[in-house]
Amino acid sequence: MASASDRSYTRRDTVMFLSCLALSVVALVAPPRTGLSVADSLRATAFAPLVWLQVRAEEGRTSRVRFREITGQRDSSAYLAQGLPSLLAENERLRQLLSLSRRLSSSYVAAEVLHQSQATDGRTLLLSAGSSQGVSPFDPVIAPEGLIGVVLSTAERTSIAMTWAHPEFRVSAFTVTGNAAGVVAPSLTAMTGEGALEFRGVPYRDSVPSGTLVLSSGLGGVYPKGIPVGTVTGLIREQAGWERVYRLLPAANPGSVGHVLILVAPPSSDVAAAFPSDSVLKAQRLDSLLKARRADSLAQASRDAASARRDSAAARPRRTRAKADSAATPAAPATRAPEPVQRDSAR
Amino acid sequence: MMPSRANRVQVVVVLLVMVVLQFYIRPRLWGPRVSPDFLFLGLMLFALRSSPGVAALAGFVIGLASDALTPAHFGAGMMAHTVVGYVSSWSRAVFFADNILVNAAFVGVGLWVRDLLMLLLSGAGDRPLFTELTIYSPLEALATAAFALLVLLAFRQWFSIRLDA
Repeated sequence: MASASDRSYTRRDTVMFLSCLALSVVALVAPPRTGLSVADSLRATAFAPLVWLQVRAEEGRTSRVRFREITGQRDSSAYLAQGLPSLLAENERLRQLLSLSRRLSSSYVAAEVLHQSQATDGRTLLLSAGSSQGVSPFDPVIAPEGLIGVVLSTAERTSIAMTWAHPEFRVSAFTVTGNAAGVVAPSLTAMTGEGALEFRGVPYRDSVPSGTLVLSSGLGGVYPKGIPVGTVTGLIREQAGWERVYRLLPAANPGSVGHVLILVAPPSSDVAAAFPSDSVLKAQRLDSLLKARRADSLAQASRDAASARRDSAAARPRRTRAKADSAATPAAPATRAPEPVQRDSAR
Repeated sequence: MMPSRANRVQVVVVLLVMVVLQFYIRPRLWGPRVSPDFLFLGLMLFALRSSPGVAALAGFVIGLASDALTPAHFGAGMMAHTVVGYVSSWSRAVFFADNILVNAAFVGVGLWVRDLLMLLLSGAGDRPLFTELTIYSPLEALATAAFALLVLLAFRQWFSIRLDA
């Protein structure tokens, strides 16, 4: 049997429960507007700290999401920026190659250089064109800057080129001024990594000033005449008073070249016109830029004209529709007055 | 048995932590629909250790907060929480002893019943009622029960008292 305190305890609980329940029922059956106003006032007073907490939490969550987004955008921008210089360089090289191929009068095959991660890469290059494209051994390999080397062997779809850095490379050459001729070979120091050429067999009586461009002479039946080989940078040695040897700065770098042209025409043709001097190249580039700008402005003008035509064509039906609308809607007598005149004149 | 003042303070601290978790941490958790309901857990922890009348009053206050902050149908939360608080406290005294797993399971069942009452009282349609009661409410109940288990394990000493006085 329950004691008196237990009974009062139970009664008190029941009263509290029924009171709460009754208040809940009142809240439930009260008009929605009353409930909302009570909720509003509670949010503004008693539960304001809870709302404040939730607002802070929401701010924290959104700022975290925004931080993640911004970090992601920054990472992608950094990634893009990393690749941009190399893309620009490749683009520039391809442009140069394209302009060289336009200037070349003899036939050629374009090929990619498949660089290998070996120490000897640069002496021989694997090219992505082979006998099926018409490439054959002893075909000269050129880049926009000048001579790269010569094809050593060919497979069906690939070929191996010997570059000027190879110890066995030789090319008959002469200065652009025509006063000295000789043979260009890799420098002895090139094998230790310096990467220079020697202009050998220059007669002692002929002196070549620094900065003189050296071109292939076309003798020997391998390289056509006029391909830039290098630029004289200084005298290396004089041998027994009858020969001078000059150091050449190579025109093209096989280590960094990505695309080349393989000349498949007989070497008798002169390709000097395909390698104009720097000033000529600059002028050509400016000219092409001007042409491109002119073409752009013409295209823009035609686009503007087309859009203007479209606008006027779109405006015409609107005008007729507006006329019809004004005719349909009752308007002031002053505006309606000309209508019979128009109809009459139409009749 | 009269609980000491220290025990009351400890329970109040835990309940305040639950309030902070509910309003500051819960919005940052994964899906808010299936995250633990810390406020309800606080109510259950309190109800299981207090008299039914006090538990009903606590449920009423928490329901009032729920209705004020998410006024779907004013009064539904109050009634649901009042009933669940009262029944939890009463049934705990009648049916089962102190067992952490049973307490945690009781929290989960209580949450599902609370959702059922709230949905019925707020006049939810058949389809939302079915979806809530079969998918979201059980998931939320599971998450809340799991968290209740952690809380009871962590604060076992603090919750081994009754606040009947």
